[in-house]
Amino acid sequence: MDPMDIVGKSKEDASLPKATMTKIIKEMLPPDVRVARDAQDLLIECCVEFINLVSSESNEVCNREEKRTIAPEHVLKALEVLGFGEYIEEVYAAYEQHKHETMQDSLKGGKWSNGAEMTEEALLAEQQRMFAEARARMNGGAAVPKQTDVDSNVES
Amino acid sequence: MRQPGMYSGMLSGISGKTGPHSLPLARIKKIMKKSGDDVKMISGEAPIVFSKACELFIEELTRQSWAMTMQGRRRTLHKDDVASAVAATDIFDFLVNLVSEPPNADEDAPGGTNNIEH
Repeated sequence: MDPMDIVGKSKEDASLPKATMTKIIKEMLPPDVRVARDAQDLLIECCVEFINLVSSESNEVCNREEKRTIAPEHVLKALEVLGFGEYIEEVYAAYEQHKHETMQDSLKGGKWSNGAEMTEEALLAEQQRMFAEARARMNGGAAVPKQTDVDSNVES
Repeated sequence: MRQPGMYSGMLSGISGKTGPHSLPLARIKKIMKKSGDDVKMISGEAPIVFSKACELFIEELTRQSWAMTMQGRRRTLHKDDVASAVAATDIFDFLVNLVSEPPNADEDAPGGTNNIEH
């Protein structure tokens, strides 16, 4: 084996991670079936070649549509042209699923986008409170006029 | 005893769904960029589509290769099984050269001459 393969710096070297590929392969087969190492390597090479093929075709599709960026639609079209049309449905479903999941993540992370009205109200209330406290400090510590319902309790 | 239904399900094309393994998007993007001389810019979403397509492709190729292994009544999937699967399936035509090419220099030349091309 060429030492360059291990270093992975040579231009020829982008390949797919063996562990992930092996898992995918093994899950397709009954548990007692073994896969010869040269067969595993060959399957990985075939996959890389598949990417090359579909990429080239996607590039063509993109060119024909006079677009500057290869988009998912171009890839789907390429799959169809190359005879992998039956993948399209599942691929598209996975793509949609991924978009959906990504959206969920950004919603969870962003407190602002979810329930924006509440946030504004809370901010407003906070602002009022801060003004009231500032006023109280100016008035030398007199009773702080906050929300009226609280006041009514205190006064009576 | 294993249920026969499980495996016949796999062979008939029902994706016995593989776990949540995705292929690394950066790696896919790298391969895409090297696939040609003037590859256009690649949208961030394109590798995601590829990731799934590759998974399906490998599953199908594995399935077909395994069918060859079973024909030979073996339990180990060999390189030749992959080659047979490629030869038997039209859409795998693009792989014909890849599977028939020996990875190491062949030694069938008598006299042990090196197959170094100048």
